[in-house]
Amino acid sequence: MPIVKAKKAMMNLEPGQVMEVQAIDKGSIADLKAWAENTGHQYIGTVEGGDLLKHYLRKASDPELKEEIKHEYTIELNKLHSKLNEPPISILDVCEPIEFAFGHIPGAVNIPLGELDERLDEIDQNKELYIICRTVNRSDLAAQKLTEKGYKNVINVLPGMSTWDSPIEKN
Amino acid sequence: MANTKVAIIAANGTLFDAYKVFNIATAAAASDAEVGIFFTFEGLNLIHKEAHKQLPLPKGKEHFAEGFSKANVPSIEKLVGIAQELGVKLIACQMTMDVMNLAKDAFVDGIEVGGAATFIDYAKDANISLSF
Repeated sequence: MPIVKAKKAMMNLEPGQVMEVQAIDKGSIADLKAWAENTGHQYIGTVEGGDLLKHYLRKASDPELKEEIKHEYTIELNKLHSKLNEPPISILDVCEPIEFAFGHIPGAVNIPLGELDERLDEIDQNKELYIICRTVNRSDLAAQKLTEKGYKNVINVLPGMSTWDSPIEKN
Repeated sequence: MANTKVAIIAANGTLFDAYKVFNIATAAAASDAEVGIFFTFEGLNLIHKEAHKQLPLPKGKEHFAEGFSKANVPSIEKLVGIAQELGVKLIACQMTMDVMNLAKDAFVDGIEVGGAATFIDYAKDANISLSF
């Protein structure tokens, strides 16, 4: 009954939080994907280890549904491609670590939005900083926050990893 | 699936039937669909206070008993509770209850009692209709 258990557990999570669902039946992969699609949550991926399947799901958050962008400087995803070959730039992925593990732009640095404040010193201020998440909202919030802190050259990547179709790096 | 409505008729009373009904019903309800089940004839056993704790396997399929205990599936008693917790509407067929001389208090708490017209009214705008 992974679906029923996932449903119950999801009710106790805050929007944006990630949940691990452990199951032993192979059908649970398709079931959880379909369930996530039908309930609006994000299916991140599944790790298979022996008989155990670990599914990762992220609870839908309302701001994400609105997709309102406030940070002024943005770049289309396809234009970021050409930039990849002309350093110095850095790509900051503000997804959750498990989303990052399932696929990110090669060379990107991962600092989840929720940890940004305490990890500012990991960000190189001398490079153009391209911020990305799954869609646009977390990256927009991160871009606003960094701009407030005095960072220059902060650019939000639109629309995000959900439409990135080039090679990705895992783990 | 918040705008999806599922209407199920449960008309049979073996353990297999019970799992089919409650597995589909709880999966749909957990996917935010509105779910109603109409229990009629032997299907009433699925929500009968005593009978649903010891539903028979179909004739000739008794050897599956071991599989059920091994597969770690929840009991029907538990599944009924889960279904109700998820908001699944359980409707017992009035006519069958009259024929079998069963009162409402013979069934698990929280059920509704209604006739065929009650179910048809519920099911008239259902997106998914199933019969077991």
